[in-house]
Amino acid sequence: MWKMVVKRLGIGVLMLFAVSLIVFAGTEILPGDVAEIILGQSATPETLKVLRAELGLDQPAYLRYLFWLGDLARGDLGMSHARNVPIADLVAPRLRNTFLLAGCVAAIAVPLSLAAGLLAAMYPGSWTDRAVSWMTLGSISFPEFFTATVLVLVFSIELGLLPPISNLRGDSGPGEWAAALALPVATLTISLFGQLVRLTRATTLNIMNEPYVEMAVLKGLSRRRIVFLHVGLNAFGPIVNVVALNMAYLVGGVVIVETIFAFPGLAKLMIDGVQTRDLPVVQACAMIFCATYVVLILVADIAAILANARLRHAR
Amino acid sequence: MRRSDNETTKTAFTRLSGRQRDEVSAAIRSGISRRDFLAYAGAAGMTAAAAGQLFLGARAAQADTPSQGGTIRCALSDYGTDTMDPQLFSSTGDFTRGRAHFNNLVQLDQSLTPQPELAEAFEANADATEWTFRLREGVTFHDGSPMTADDVVWSMNRHIGEETASKAKVLFSDVKAWRKVDNTTVKAELSAPNSDLASILGTFHFKVLKEGESNFANPLGTGPYRMAEYEPGIRSIHTRNEDYWREPPKPDQIELFAIADDSARLSALMSGDAEMVTNLDPKAVPMVQNTDGVTVWSVPSGSYTCIICMTNTGPGSDPNFVLGLKHLLNRERTLAFSQGGMGTIGNDQPINAAYAEYAEAVTQRAFDPDKARHYLQKSGVTSAEIQVPNFGEDMVLLLQQEAKQVGFDLQVKKVPSDGYWSSVWMKTPLHVSDWFMRPTANIMMSLAFAPDAKWNESQWINERFGQLLKEDRATTDRGLKAELHREMQQLVTDEAGVLIPSHRNIVDGISERITGLTRNPLGSLGGCEWPEFVAFKA
Repeated sequence: MWKMVVKRLGIGVLMLFAVSLIVFAGTEILPGDVAEIILGQSATPETLKVLRAELGLDQPAYLRYLFWLGDLARGDLGMSHARNVPIADLVAPRLRNTFLLAGCVAAIAVPLSLAAGLLAAMYPGSWTDRAVSWMTLGSISFPEFFTATVLVLVFSIELGLLPPISNLRGDSGPGEWAAALALPVATLTISLFGQLVRLTRATTLNIMNEPYVEMAVLKGLSRRRIVFLHVGLNAFGPIVNVVALNMAYLVGGVVIVETIFAFPGLAKLMIDGVQTRDLPVVQACAMIFCATYVVLILVADIAAILANARLRHAR
Repeated sequence: MRRSDNETTKTAFTRLSGRQRDEVSAAIRSGISRRDFLAYAGAAGMTAAAAGQLFLGARAAQADTPSQGGTIRCALSDYGTDTMDPQLFSSTGDFTRGRAHFNNLVQLDQSLTPQPELAEAFEANADATEWTFRLREGVTFHDGSPMTADDVVWSMNRHIGEETASKAKVLFSDVKAWRKVDNTTVKAELSAPNSDLASILGTFHFKVLKEGESNFANPLGTGPYRMAEYEPGIRSIHTRNEDYWREPPKPDQIELFAIADDSARLSALMSGDAEMVTNLDPKAVPMVQNTDGVTVWSVPSGSYTCIICMTNTGPGSDPNFVLGLKHLLNRERTLAFSQGGMGTIGNDQPINAAYAEYAEAVTQRAFDPDKARHYLQKSGVTSAEIQVPNFGEDMVLLLQQEAKQVGFDLQVKKVPSDGYWSSVWMKTPLHVSDWFMRPTANIMMSLAFAPDAKWNESQWINERFGQLLKEDRATTDRGLKAELHREMQQLVTDEAGVLIPSHRNIVDGISERITGLTRNPLGSLGGCEWPEFVAFKA
């Protein structure tokens, strides 16, 4: 297994490199550069020239890429062109916020949906199964912006219980942080719930039709023991992979929720970076997202191997 | 609420006996809503109108006493590529942060008249080619070091020369150099007369920095607040500068943060998570007006969104085409449709009543399809394409409808807002543009209409107009200035290739718990001047 981990990490690094090249090329193709965006309507050819020289944009593209790569190898993310501050300072607070949000959502959504999925699979066609099924359909059908808006309307405007925006100040107390996180976490939990439940239920049911489960039933084992031990461990592999993919989505793809709740996270930073052609910022975000995917999928695969005796002892 | 309303309601309150006044004040301080108050007053036998007046009056009376302390939170729509380098300031976020952290030499009041700030006194010589500034003594930067003439000279010279990327460079195009005369006096030497220099110095970019400043993550300023926390793109928190050279502001802290989404910003105001929000969506205005505790802060300004017909290329090179389109603008409908009526009618020239130099004598052009048809037929043009980014679409679509009525085919092409200013603006025959108000009519027209201006959008070259602008800059005679401005405004509305259907108000939302906001029309929330003046009501 260790060989596999090392190999996968190696591929991951290569992938990061490829992604950085693609992102760099993509941003280069976009019309305009950061100097034109900063100066905007008030740009003149002379001031553009000065600003480009100050930002090092007068260098040819391949040299700029190599400089960036060199800095990255030394662990230096560089300076934001648009905001003139170190990118590490821009990324650090947002990374913390994003991981906090993803962590909270995962901690609530994953156990909740696994339990609901298993429950539904245990008694297919039952009243419980149907109730869960309705809930998942609702969760899948309502887009995030709709759920978020309804939650804001009810809990912030009508009831006045929770803030409609996530103002995560450094000096706020734990209570204020919990309140600030409540609505975004609820929105994302609702949106993830449907997918996770359906997948858990389908995978579990699939395995329930296997001959060895029939054998277990014939042996007279309790339904609970069959579902949690015999079926559960075998369903673990596919489920943990979907969980990992969803976690990666929570880190890099929740720009709608970040916008609606003015949540200062990484996805919004990357969008801002693209809009202002702030290439180093875009690159830094892309690297973080890509690394998150690589690591999470790797962890999911390792977990799947550990949970499955056949894979664990594969020759 | 208009000032005059405020006065009458305040009188209604002052007519009460002392004991009644105390009761009403106590009820309002305890947070009683307008509705509850009306019910309470109705039970006491008062008519609803009288009670309503009384309620507003009591609140207005309280408004006059700011209280010490608290944190004022302001959510901004336009946070942009935020920076603390004044020469690159570009968004409302930058302007407001700059106002809290720095000072200018000159401050523009609500009527946009230059008032002393770090310069205690200032004057121009007779032909306005040399300006002298006497600096205030005893002003210190946030680290305690004194502000000196060298600091001022260095800060101002940053906007001049080949080596500057300053966004305000063009405003200093006729300034040769800034020079120190003695420890408390500096001079600006000009290559051509400019009687508006003091007004220019009151605008967002001309902040006074410490000489040689290079740390723009946290530069030294002299302003009413010190920077406590700065997370670019997210927020900044500023704490009161107790050693401020003027009376320190009342609040302990102000917090500026970005909420780009319109409805999220509105929610923040309605739920009390922000005391002020910039840039209300016109559709949200009635809702804010009908909600207790929050109110709309709407200030008429000269800002406008316009349609550009380049006069050196394409259909715009025939003046008849431009005149035809000008008569096709349904100005009242554009104002109602695209701004919810929050603005003033435009007359195809940039100066409206928000400017001191506005000339009422200039004839107002009206919507006239017959004249439009006549001029368009005379030009022989039957169709044209206009490029529109993420603003001005409502205005252009209305024009398209009116054009259809007179048999003219106006095609609207949506183009990306990314890179609009560098690849579409002033490069294609027909497109849209947008301008913020400037402190004087001369500054505005010199930027966007002078024959030699870099941003002469429609490439309208009129030497007489250029001459008038220069004459105006060289004189301080009010009568002569008024005459010059009347002629200039008439020339632009008759001949330039710019269509201005309306000017917009600056429309923000504020909590009724705050006081001290001014009505400077140069930017959001009173020209971004609020940090020094706003406080919670007692």
